[in-house]
Amino acid sequence: MGANVKDKTDIPARYSRQILFEEIGPEGQARLMDARVALVGCGALGTVQASLLVRAGVGHLRIIDRDFVEESNLQRQILFDEEDVRAILPKAVAAEKKLRATNSLVDVEGLVEDLNASSIGRLLTGFDLVLDATDNFDARFLLNDYCVKTATPWIYGACVGSYGLTFPILPGDTACLRCVFESAPPPGLSPTCDTAGVLGPIVGVVASLQVAEALKILSGRLERVSRRISVVDVWEGRQSQIDLPAREPACPCCGKREFPYLEGALGSDTATLCGRNAVQIRRRDGVRLDLDEVARRLGPIGTVEKNRFLLRADIDAYRLTVFADGRAIVSGTTDAAVAKSLYSRYVGT
Amino acid sequence: MIYLDNAATSFPKPEPVYRGMEDFVRASGANPGRGGHRRAVEAEAMINDTRRLLARLLGCARPERIVFGHNATDGLNMAIKGVLRQGDHAITSVLEHNSVSRPLNRIEKDGVITLTRLPATADHLIDPDEVARAFRNNTRLVALTHASNVTGTIQPIAAIGRIARERDALLLVDAAQSAGVVPIDFDNDRVDLLAFTGHKGLLGPTGTGGLVVGERVTVRPWREGGTGGDSTRPVQPEEFPHRLEGGTPNVFGIAGLREGARVLLKRGVETVLPHERGLIRVFLTSLKRPERLSWYGADRVIADRNGEGRVGLVSTNVAGFAPAEVGAILDEQFDIAVRPGLHCAPYAHQHLGTFPQGTVRLSVGILTTADDMRQAAVALDEITAS
Repeated sequence: MGANVKDKTDIPARYSRQILFEEIGPEGQARLMDARVALVGCGALGTVQASLLVRAGVGHLRIIDRDFVEESNLQRQILFDEEDVRAILPKAVAAEKKLRATNSLVDVEGLVEDLNASSIGRLLTGFDLVLDATDNFDARFLLNDYCVKTATPWIYGACVGSYGLTFPILPGDTACLRCVFESAPPPGLSPTCDTAGVLGPIVGVVASLQVAEALKILSGRLERVSRRISVVDVWEGRQSQIDLPAREPACPCCGKREFPYLEGALGSDTATLCGRNAVQIRRRDGVRLDLDEVARRLGPIGTVEKNRFLLRADIDAYRLTVFADGRAIVSGTTDAAVAKSLYSRYVGT
Repeated sequence: MIYLDNAATSFPKPEPVYRGMEDFVRASGANPGRGGHRRAVEAEAMINDTRRLLARLLGCARPERIVFGHNATDGLNMAIKGVLRQGDHAITSVLEHNSVSRPLNRIEKDGVITLTRLPATADHLIDPDEVARAFRNNTRLVALTHASNVTGTIQPIAAIGRIARERDALLLVDAAQSAGVVPIDFDNDRVDLLAFTGHKGLLGPTGTGGLVVGERVTVRPWREGGTGGDSTRPVQPEEFPHRLEGGTPNVFGIAGLREGARVLLKRGVETVLPHERGLIRVFLTSLKRPERLSWYGADRVIADRNGEGRVGLVSTNVAGFAPAEVGAILDEQFDIAVRPGLHCAPYAHQHLGTFPQGTVRLSVGILTTADDMRQAAVALDEITAS
């Protein structure tokens, strides 16, 4: 950021309506055009965010996603179409193609990668802002560790069903994710989009709110950045703003500067099982799952079988065997990223 | 926790092993080297003392032929890659761990050797007659496990040693599962190379192990470097053990291994196997419904022959459960540590018909108790009843 003030004539005409908006203006637009943004996840939230950011004219957008386009994505993931499903394109690749066609002035880069403790440094170095479009808490706590450690602003956003919430995090200034949530909620208790469903409109609202905060940060209007948690339910018709708590001095992350997710000490642990087409996922947070509750939620999605020791759910070509301590054996893949993705979607983190 | 994964590493270790390592680290922690200061001499003496103890345990008359390395894998690589030459033929078996199979497969793929992989009998044994039949004019090496880490069966190495010697070939024995458990007579059984690990039956820490090299064998060093003396020579010295021991050894680990060897010599290695067999028998007889488990012959051997010819491990499977599921249930619900999967021995599981899921392996050690085995039986009964 921090570009020279440019004359209006230097700004491409396609942004004319945006620079007419006084608080952005040519100077803000110039900063935006120099900005480098990383988008983690390219699902429902990610496709809306990417589209808005590319149209707004950020300089460089890196999109990181490990999944492939599926038919059930099309209801809300606005960058994808039926041809992408047929071609089984990685989301990052399909998105890059669409976005380049949307605005050739933006340097769009789609990376088919798993964001984890060992890849995050390589994937997120050198960005002015990180946008959260992930679908699980492990990834968000990892993002939080990284962004607090490197003083990179990031914008949290999440939705499920008809409900969503978002708030921006300016490390060192506003509360970080761990000031707000001490730790990840127990899996299997919090609903996920793959178990409770999600409506397109809530995704649009939350992603738009995230991008609005992004535009403030990137155009240099830090004083205008929201200090509140925005909570919206498009079905109930409720919208509220809750004051963000002050930074917690005892916060393990931004207070004590401990980064266990970044060091790989927390979060889930995966191991490809010897000889089997399967990956075992273990949690390190000591939670207990209510297997009956997990069975109830997965019942409508796949074939579920349960005994006193475990639950087996056959979903598409995969089998998830889930245990009460949160561990799971994901059969049908040896790819840890695929297994983690299935775990996030169906068990939750 | 009930620890039934001793075939992976023995745990816990006998108390003297922990103490021996700590005492050595605190009191003497020097780099061994001949002709050095007092502490360096002490370190050298400790390592040589460990060689003497291991030589007694393994039936080898010349302690200096015991070469230290990281583990059995290290010893096996030293042997296989240091002995076999272009155009040689080697004989191995389906019962091998990947630490034998992979180095052999590699040099076979590279076109250095030809390889015969012998099948096992229905009793999971390698038939010496089959070995004899597999010989060719250019057979240089027979590489076999002493005790399979999947089936637990002890192989007839003395008979195979005789065959190899008659045909002027070398016998390499992988003693990862047998050293410290099965009495070994390196010299009289006509073994030429024996790879051992320190952290299983020998009760020492991980990162210890090596190779016993018989007098008939010339092994090319695959790691060259400092030996703590004789620095004037431009290349690795010829004499043992320095020929194969370039670099500072794992002195602290060897200090622990020394204590493990002492515990075994004091107790008598010959008492270990009966103890392990007894534990496996307790486990089998405590099960209410052993017929609900697949045993791959182990139940019959334990019932009819008291487990004779096997080390203290059993591979099993529970109908309706994947091995990994049984392992996870035992860990999660019963705090029992076992090892599901292929145990790094894919050919052995193909032989058993358990590839690629594998089996659940329970393996005992000298500190395992009969009560541990009864509890494991209760846990498996609960799983089969569910």
